[in-house]
Order: sequence, then C-alpha cells, then structure tokens
Amino acid sequence: MKKQNNVVKPKRTKKTVSQPAKVTIRKLPTGVRGLDDILGGGIPEFSFNIIAATPGCGKTTLAHQIVFANATAQKPALYFTVLGEPAIKMLRYQQQFSFFDESKLGKAVRFINLSDLVLKNDLNAVLAEIIKEVTTANPGIVVVDSFRTVMREAVASGSELDMQSFIQGLTQFLTSWEATTFLVGEYGEAEIRGNPLFTIADGLIWLSQVTERNSVVRKLQVMKLRGQDSVPGLHTIRISANGLQAFSRTLGLVGKKIFPKGRRRLSMGIPELDKMLGGGIFEGDSLLIAGPSGTGKSALSTHFIDEGLRQGESAIVAIFEERPVGYVERAGSFGLNLKKPQKTGKLEILYLRPLDLSVDETMQEILDAVERIGAKRLVIDSLVGFEMALAPGFRADFRESLYRMIGALTGAGVTILSTVEVEDTFTSLSFSHYTISFLTDDIIRMRYVEIDGQLRKVIFIIKMRGSNHSKDIREYVITDKGLVVIGPRQTDYARLTTGAPEPINQPQEASPEPKEKKLEGVLRRVRD
Amino acid sequence: MNRVTPKMRELAERLIAYETKGRQSPLLKTPVSFPVSEKLRPRLTTLMGKFGFHALLSRALALAGKEVPWLRAFQVNAEGSLESLDKLEGSVHPDEIFEGRVVLIAQLLGLLEAFVGEKLTLNLLREEWPSLAPPPEEIK
Repeated sequence: MKKQNNVVKPKRTKKTVSQPAKVTIRKLPTGVRGLDDILGGGIPEFSFNIIAATPGCGKTTLAHQIVFANATAQKPALYFTVLGEPAIKMLRYQQQFSFFDESKLGKAVRFINLSDLVLKNDLNAVLAEIIKEVTTANPGIVVVDSFRTVMREAVASGSELDMQSFIQGLTQFLTSWEATTFLVGEYGEAEIRGNPLFTIADGLIWLSQVTERNSVVRKLQVMKLRGQDSVPGLHTIRISANGLQAFSRTLGLVGKKIFPKGRRRLSMGIPELDKMLGGGIFEGDSLLIAGPSGTGKSALSTHFIDEGLRQGESAIVAIFEERPVGYVERAGSFGLNLKKPQKTGKLEILYLRPLDLSVDETMQEILDAVERIGAKRLVIDSLVGFEMALAPGFRADFRESLYRMIGALTGAGVTILSTVEVEDTFTSLSFSHYTISFLTDDIIRMRYVEIDGQLRKVIFIIKMRGSNHSKDIREYVITDKGLVVIGPRQTDYARLTTGAPEPINQPQEASPEPKEKKLEGVLRRVRD
Repeated sequence: MNRVTPKMRELAERLIAYETKGRQSPLLKTPVSFPVSEKLRPRLTTLMGKFGFHALLSRALALAGKEVPWLRAFQVNAEGSLESLDKLEGSVHPDEIFEGRVVLIAQLLGLLEAFVGEKLTLNLLREEWPSLAPPPEEIK
C-alpha cells in the first residue's frame, strides 16, 4: 500500500513581475490643422525643436500658432525676438490671423526683445537673460526668433566653441525647466550638415516653397522628431486668414475604420441602367463613367445623386467645370430638384477651381464635406477638370492622391461616381488615360455611334467588380426627363464600339452569354 | 496729419493726470519730467528692444514738437529717456507743461495704435495702469 502523501504541495503561482512603466510623453497641439496628424499626435512636451526655412515660408506664423494654442497665464509662452522681425511688427501682422488672441498678450504670451544683447556679441549675456526670464515666468513654451541671427552674430565674433557652449547650455536649461522650445531660423538645406544645432534638436520642421512653372506651393517636412511616428515626406501647407493649414500626404486617413462591404446595391436612378448593372452598383464601390463631351456623363451623375437623396442619403458633388448654379439648373431641366436638399443640408455642391490648388487640400475639402454631412454618395465631375484645376506641380501626384482618397472613402462606405472625358476615336475604344483598375470597381462607357446618318449615343458596362452585368450595348437619349436608356440593344449592327457600326444581314455568332431578348424568352417559357 | 484719436488724447490726459497728481509745484522748479513715458519704457523696451523704443519715442517727440514748441528742446537719450537740451525753468507755464505731456503721450499711443491696433495698445496700457485703460468689452 502506498503511503498516502498528505503533504499539500503548494500551488505554483506565476510570479508576476511588474514592468517599470515607460515614460508617457504628452503631446502638445500645434494649433495648425492637419499638422498634429503629420507629427504623429503633436509636439512632444519638453522637446527642443527647430523650425527652419527660407524667408516667406511661414516660420513665424507657425511659431505663433503653437504659442497661442498652448500658452496660459499659469504656463505662459515666452517669445524672444532677436534682430529679425521686430515684435511690434510681428504683433501688427500676426493679429490679422484668426488664431491670434490679444487677450493672451502680456500674461500668457510675452514678447521679449534680445536684440541689444545679441548686438553686443555676448552670448553669455543672452543666455543669462533667457535664464532670468524663464526662471521668473516658468513658461511652458519658449520661442527664439530668429535663432539664426544669434548664431550669425556668434560666428561673426569668431568663437565656435562659445556658440556650441551656448547651444548646449540653452538646451540643458530649457529642458530642465520643462519648457518646450522652438528655435526659429532661416537655414538652407546645405547648412544641416555638421551643424551641432541640428544634432542636438529633438525635432526639425522644415518649411519650403516649391516653384513649378508659374505656381508656388509651400511645403512642410518633419525631418526629425524623436520618439514619434511622424508621417514622412513633403506635405502641402497653405497660409490663409486662419494661419497655417497642413495637408498630410496621407490625408489623415491612415488607420481609419474600414466599412464592412456588404452586398447592398444602390440604384443609379435609371431603371434600365440598374438592370444592366445587375440591380445597381454595390454600396462603397467606385464607379467611373467614361465618355466624350456631350454624351451625358454629368446627367447620369445627377440621376445617381438624385436617387440617393430620394433614399434619404446625403450627397456631395465636386464640380470643376460647371458652376453650382448651372449644375442645379440643369438638374431642374430634367425634373430633378436639387435646390431643396441643398437648403436642408443633405446636398453640398463644391465648386473647386481656384488657381494653384494643391491636390491634398482639394481632397481635404472633399473629405471635410463628406464628413460634415455624412455623405453616402459622392460625385467627382470630372477627373479631367479636377486635374486641370491643380497647380502644375501637383499633377504628377494627382493619381496617387486620388487613389488614396477613393480608397479611403469607399473603405468608409461612401459610393463614388467619377466622370472622365475621353476622346472617341473611330478605330478603338479607350476608357480613360487614368489607371482604371486602381481607381474603380465599375466602369460604364458612353460613346457616339453613327447610325443611319445620325450621331447616336450608346452605353455599355465594361466592368463590374464582383458581379455579373449586362454585356449589351444599349442606345440612350437625353430628354427633358434626363438620361433615358432605350433599346433593348442594337441588334442590327456590328462593331458599335468602334463608333462606325455596320448593318448585319447574316446570322450572328452565338454570344457567350444569353442576350437580353433571348433571356426574356427563356424566362417567359419557364413561367409558362 | 494728426493721427491721434480723441480717445487716445483723452486716455493720455488721464494717464498724465494720474501720474503727476500732486507732484508738480505750480511753478516749475525741477526739470520737466515725463512719468508716463518713463513708466512705459521698460515694458516697451522688453517688447521692442532699446533701439526700437528709442525710435518710437523719437518719432512721437518729433510729431508732438510740431504742436508744442517747447518740446523741441528735448531729445531721447540712449536709454530711452527724455532729456532737455535747454533750461526751461520758469519759461513754461504748468498748463503748457501738462498740455505738452499729453500731446507727447497721445502721439506715442497714436503710433502704437497705428502699428498694433487699438486693442493691443490698450492691453499694453492696462498691464501698467489696470484701472485707467478701458476694459476690452468697452473697446469697439
């Protein structure tokens, strides 16, 4: 007999080792729309940053926006001005921007002029003055504008060691005093190399102006930002009455929730066309309507929008060629009332044709509108007009940005209809010069054909991702009811797609799929 | 062209009256002082630098000197203070001194107003004389 072992074995418990918590770096808002996303959440607190650029890029405005976004009476911002733009002129110009809050001046935002000390070439005195002011005010934000002039004076005085010692002392002091610092300066890209300032800095925001033919566009690049996942590359910035606005290359769409793609079909507002599409297009699809001028692409898109509005969906129409008034009037001539949904906020018509438009800011405008009214349908009329409205320098980026925007919007469940003008040739059938498969799930082609001495119009479905569709070529007309598909199809002609069809007098080859007439016959027999 | 608005003129009068209250004998025995500009000097020097304040006060003095001849006897020294080139003792009536001070300060405030606007000018003054400058809600 085995001796019973009464010894209770202690239960082995997993020893939990508490990990020391890593430091959480608070991120300060920049007050610049779009910039926090680019920076990976904002400016790291207590970081030592450089805002560098050539003149006229918006350095000082950027610094002011950051200052006004963060300064409070308890944690003020100290703005040291040095030989650059005098504070009085800064105040004169910066108060024109909407972010400028004069009630913050004095208590929350304090300007201190260091010119006299810098002119004496005494870096120690400059540092001592900064230390004195910072110690007294206990600021959250410190700006030195322009730091470049401080350095220039120091270099002129001939002591590089003094300069390095000054930078080191300044960095250590301001970080120890828990101040987030911005040194604003005019630098050229060649000056980055071998400059200790850029090595010490935690963050380096580079602003530039890019010239392309007659257009000038401001760009922002986060060249360096310690400890944060900033968005690489050049981002467009624009200076308006609201100050700087940044447009991320990713349009701030990275990480957005993807709408689960269902199989709900949306009506195009033209029953015969819905039938050709197998019941309508899928929600969240991107549909391209390609055809030459005058074939009714805009009319078709208006039907699409009107149908969505009838179903209670909100919609955005981005137009680049026609003006909103004309667009609404033309819809009215088809018996479609777009004025009412415009008034109730269910429909927004964006007319986007300013000069030097950047692709990212245009797309941002569309995205904002979509978000603002919760649009489920979007029309871009047309891609050619969109591209033409852009500054020449942006046209190269057009497809890439368009792809990103369409991908993000359809991913969010918005159904997009884009029109594109293509030139009809009478020897071939082109869809568009854009990279179709990347931009669209579905393609509808409209074209002219010459029949019996008339220039008539036909419509057919080229592609429908994930669904069967009619292969018929249907004739349509544009009447006072809009676009009306007639047909069922032109059976007496061949080579309709070339635009110069020929009458058929001999029996045709069997088509790979049943044509509509035959199919109807089969169904009738089945019913009988 | 006189850019001084009645509001700035009135404000200058109040500031001068406040700063000189009971400090001046009826007849001038001591050199003419400019307490308002002296009080503004550190604040504006911090904002604009010594040179910037010097330039602004010199301009105000030049403009004021056109209206008040005895002010032409003054200049702005390197520190940003006003100093007399001539001895004025007894030659200027206290009423004229008051008027000269008001005109000078009104010109200085007028310049500030032209550069940074009325709101910011009054903000600056409010920091030094909280009870004298009108509160923001009164500024139209």
